Amino acid sequence: MTNPVVKAASYCLYHARDMVVTHGTTLMVERAKNPDSPLLEQVQQSLRPFESVAAYPPNQVYIGNISPGELAQIPQPWYENLVEPQRQGRFGAIFPLDELIAMMKIADSFELVVLEETFARQMAERLKAHPLFTETDMAILAKAQTIEEIESLLSKGTAVPLEFDDHVVGCIKQAHEVDVNLKADVMFENLAAKASGALALRHLLWKNEIDPSSIDYIIETSEEAAGDMNQRGGGNFAKAIGEVCGCLNASGSDTRSFCAGPSHGIVNACGLVKSGIYQNVVVVAGGATAKLGMNSRDHIKKEVPVLEDVLGAFAILISADDGVNPIIRTDAIGRHRIGTGSSPQAVTSSLVTDPLQRAGLTISDVDKYSVEMQNPEITVPAGAGDVPLANYKMIAALGVKQGAIQRSELDSFVTQHGLKGWAPTQGHIPSGVPYMGFAREGILQGELNRVMIVGKGSLFLARLTNLFDGVSFLMEPNPGKSTSTTVTAEKTVTVGVTLLGSEHGLEEVVRGAELAQSKHKNIGVVAIGPKGSTSLPVIEANTEEEQRHVMENLLKSGEIDACVTMHYNFPLGVTTIGRVIAPATGREMLIASTTGMSAGNRTEAMHKNAILGIAVAKALGISDPEVGILNVDGALTTERSLRDLEKEGYSINWAASSRAGGQAIMRGNDALTGGCDVLVTDSLTGNILVKMLSALNTGGSIESVGYGYGPGVGEGYSQIINIVSRASGAPVIAGAVEFAADAAKARLPELVAEELKRAKLVKTEPADAVRKPPAKPVDQEITGVDVLEIEEAAEALWKENIYAEAGMGCTGPVILVTPEDIELAKRKLIEFGFINQ
Amino acid sequence: MENQTRILELVEKHGKENVVVVLGGAEAEASGLAAETVTAGDPTFAGPLTGVQLELPVYHIFELKDIVPEDVWEDQISMMEMVLDVDEIIKEVTTYREQIGG
Repeated sequence: MTNPVVKAASYCLYHARDMVVTHGTTLMVERAKNPDSPLLEQVQQSLRPFESVAAYPPNQVYIGNISPGELAQIPQPWYENLVEPQRQGRFGAIFPLDELIAMMKIADSFELVVLEETFARQMAERLKAHPLFTETDMAILAKAQTIEEIESLLSKGTAVPLEFDDHVVGCIKQAHEVDVNLKADVMFENLAAKASGALALRHLLWKNEIDPSSIDYIIETSEEAAGDMNQRGGGNFAKAIGEVCGCLNASGSDTRSFCAGPSHGIVNACGLVKSGIYQNVVVVAGGATAKLGMNSRDHIKKEVPVLEDVLGAFAILISADDGVNPIIRTDAIGRHRIGTGSSPQAVTSSLVTDPLQRAGLTISDVDKYSVEMQNPEITVPAGAGDVPLANYKMIAALGVKQGAIQRSELDSFVTQHGLKGWAPTQGHIPSGVPYMGFAREGILQGELNRVMIVGKGSLFLARLTNLFDGVSFLMEPNPGKSTSTTVTAEKTVTVGVTLLGSEHGLEEVVRGAELAQSKHKNIGVVAIGPKGSTSLPVIEANTEEEQRHVMENLLKSGEIDACVTMHYNFPLGVTTIGRVIAPATGREMLIASTTGMSAGNRTEAMHKNAILGIAVAKALGISDPEVGILNVDGALTTERSLRDLEKEGYSINWAASSRAGGQAIMRGNDALTGGCDVLVTDSLTGNILVKMLSALNTGGSIESVGYGYGPGVGEGYSQIINIVSRASGAPVIAGAVEFAADAAKARLPELVAEELKRAKLVKTEPADAVRKPPAKPVDQEITGVDVLEIEEAAEALWKENIYAEAGMGCTGPVILVTPEDIELAKRKLIEFGFINQ
Repeated sequence: MENQTRILELVEKHGKENVVVVLGGAEAEASGLAAETVTAGDPTFAGPLTGVQLELPVYHIFELKDIVPEDVWEDQISMMEMVLDVDEIIKEVTTYREQIGG
């Protein structure tokens, strides 16, 4: 079984200065009780500017620029001993408030966030080159309103202001007239949590070059509740965040347990990965506006700046064993049981010493413990003491009681195995997980051998139980590096190779298949052809016709995931995307396409080839491939139609020809240098290119380099069949097996379907198809429509110029419309006979 | 706040002379604050004991080691006894108790 590994971790902070006063509960309650309270003014005066927040040493630890060890060397108070104010860190970034507000707009799916025009324009100008923001984001920011319109919304009392530097730059509207769970302040809190979590996840994906579509599941672990008055905690932050980050293949759900939520999330993720249910699970959480300025009363009293002025967020990727990244031991999970009791002693035993005992370890065997990593500078003035220090003392004292260490070693144990706290008091944010980034790095570098992460939560705050909560887990080096038993990766995909049909005889094909097997331990190669020809497993077939039948049956039954063959008749609409090695540079390039036909019309086919090429590039892990068009007949028309598609929101990363002024149109020279990732052409020219580039060194008789003509792709085509030329040599056949395996691993047909959908190439409706009215946010459900008629019912409403979407509700199919349209829509659906009176 | 309400209710129901307060606070200042609240009244002027001088006898659990059964002490308290600043906590609580002559 696979071990779950900690593959990546990102940590982000957001300066939330104005939100401290408007949306921190301490000051909200104060204002409600006494609008003229001097505390409000005092806090306002004591808030820090962005530069001081970025230069605050604990914040630089959070994003990875300073280690916890280095922090301990900086004299306190840290707010008087500032460091270099860096915005970017090894693990994340510190964002100013205006950027968070822009992200709240981008993360808003229901037109609740309204930004003022000048502010929105300035933000779009600043963020357009930012790697975490996309063109689609900029289009969303372009929708802004005048300050007069915003003031009018605010005067009605149905919206709350978004303030930056004491100025109103926008507002958030209530999402429902009477529902307390959808009122403007609640939407403010939830959108801040969603936006801050989404930026952390975007950072994780960008920084670690992870394809968003590779994420299978998202677990969100904040302390907010998303829902309406009938389901106050209905959820689902996880999918809402994944959507903003392009995680199209992911599902997700929210896990809650006060501050212990993130640690539960990690343990759940480990279970999902270890069981093989998912390969890549993200645990994510955004920040809590409610906790801003929570202890500001005490901070003002003790003349400390209001330090609770940032939102925190993190995203951690737990993946299947890669033999490299640190593992989480699933045999030593600590948990606070219902019967454990709530005395500190019982809690510490259940979370720390019990799991260690199970693993045959003592407290000294753990190099570092990450507990509640609250910044003591925030908690000490508030009377809560140094939280990490108190936790370390408890672990040490328990060790003394159990005889693991001497009483006299208590203090030195704390220094050696403990850490200074640095995390903002955002509840779930400081709880154990802030150290996972440092732990991963330290273990990878061989500096740490074992780290325990402990998350704890105070369940009594919800007044349903007096129970306490907590979970813990151990991170250790990946044994894949040192022991031979775990080195062999599991066979993840099986690829068939048909043996008959080569111009160089069966032996050459067998050599290619065997070469692929010896090179790639994680691919299972199966031969389809005459018995006794190879040491590989053989499924017998004695003619080319028989080979084709066997291949089709094996693909259908799932016994093989993909197949390499010399000839196959694809249906019209399916074409193959070839992969070559550019002779001048060794750079790999996809040729779109090389056999088959994606469409009857030449330029329509080339247009489609570009999209299919992009999908295949994504399957190979190139998330934003450079696209060039070969200078053949129809190239300019194709470029024009693709540029038109861009205007509709499909973004293309255009390549630039090496020739003067060449732009995206590629010449023969570019084919030799590999001037782009995807070279778009008609399939006959593409076919010639693959042949020439593969046989360049052999004089043409045998193709010796590259990956063949590639897999057949097209709308609705779900099999992976890679074609190679009958003149292919063994290395090309081995390359084709690797290519087919990569396509199978990335679930190429799903990627193709998504890409075609994004490029609006899914079969269009006939000419008299109904035109959709302009999209509006829809949140009203109409039930009672038969599932078979649901699309038809939505279209019938479009004809009446009512915007509607067909959807799936909890209890069956639903038609979604806006609150303004619901009555009319219902009447029409009754009139047309889709629902009963 | 809620604890203040509960103490007030208990005193009203059973009478001052029948109520003893045992604290479990982890820190001297906070324990002192709690002791002051149930003797001289809430010094933060925030709760129902503001201006209410209950003068209840108040002890921290660390002061009561002699009357707690040994095994219970071992299970529930001995670890924290090593961790916390016991002397400082007792000193704070004693100060307030002695002010009422208890």
